[in-house]
Amino acid sequence: MLEDPAKESSETHRRYANTPETPDFAFDPEDPWTQTFQEGLARADLRGKTVYEVGVGTGINVAFILRNCGAARVYGSDLDPRLVVLAESNLRSLSPQHAAYFEPVHGSVSLIDTDAARAKIDKTDVVIACIPQVGEPSDERLTAFREAQSVKLAKGAEDEAEDHIAHYYPWSLFDEYPYNSVGLGLNEALMRRVRQQAPHAQLVMNFGCRIGTEIICECFEANGYKPEKIASKIVLQHAGTDISFFVTLEKALSGTNLEKQLVCKFYSDPDGKKPLSATEAQNLIDMDPEVALYHEVAVIRGIPITN
Amino acid sequence: MQVSNTIDCNGLSPAPTLLRIMQALVGRDDCGAPLNVLVGSDCNCDRLAASLGPLAGDVQLSHNIRQFASIN
Repeated sequence: MLEDPAKESSETHRRYANTPETPDFAFDPEDPWTQTFQEGLARADLRGKTVYEVGVGTGINVAFILRNCGAARVYGSDLDPRLVVLAESNLRSLSPQHAAYFEPVHGSVSLIDTDAARAKIDKTDVVIACIPQVGEPSDERLTAFREAQSVKLAKGAEDEAEDHIAHYYPWSLFDEYPYNSVGLGLNEALMRRVRQQAPHAQLVMNFGCRIGTEIICECFEANGYKPEKIASKIVLQHAGTDISFFVTLEKALSGTNLEKQLVCKFYSDPDGKKPLSATEAQNLIDMDPEVALYHEVAVIRGIPITN
Repeated sequence: MQVSNTIDCNGLSPAPTLLRIMQALVGRDDCGAPLNVLVGSDCNCDRLAASLGPLAGDVQLSHNIRQFASIN
């Protein structure tokens, strides 16, 4: 009988300590997003595979897929050049026996847009990523669209935290990608690049599903991948997170007869049984900025469709 | 805020298509010419135009990008 990979990974977790160095400019590896991503990675059949992580962060996933998932080799890069160095250092301390199997691409790498990154992608079986799905709150065109719908930005939303680029992407720069309209432009750009560079590689991507899993799956299909949800968790939304982008989308669709086709998915309970639209969630935040709101995080695997 | 005069909505279902058009119109300089919108073969252009309401007059919907070349 096959082992339940989620059970196996949690047991393996207990055998090792996961305490990477995490400076302020790195995404917090204790975040439930990372836990969900790793549950998906444990189910993604990575044993013996060559994996490329777009956005290595602290390197916690690199350690996990080498140590717990049996990947043969891992490549990785990040937009923030400090993070690849950090990932190497963390891997050496978390799992020194696997350090030689990580081949980072140094420097600042947006998606896979350097020759060195593309050369590694050519040799990759599975590309993994958890990259932003919300446009920069200060983006000029996004601001114009939001203001056209009379939606206010949350107080402090334009302040840039140290790990800002782990959460937001320059929305207007990805406008050539159709799914940018719902915040998936950066993710779609990666799908297209991988499809072109390594047409047989699978994608395993982690999403905050506030826009709805259905539309994320549509994005995979439109770009030549058969989507499959392999892990899911309802997580607490970070207090103070600006959700004006999602409210703006709903308001723009109001009165068009299409409003029921795109309703953002928030929840008022940790079990995900009491759904809220973004507009309803925003109303609750306006009444109590500390209100607990939840949303789904899901790992979607995209299998390339061959004609 | 420079926005192309042609946007690709191929592969999008109706709701994100409508959003993409609205976003493009907001960021567009008033050049007098309609915004060209390339839509997928399964898109119902009449229904999409109805959802656009008064904005429908600012766009040209087509399943074929070559049609735009003949218009512009």
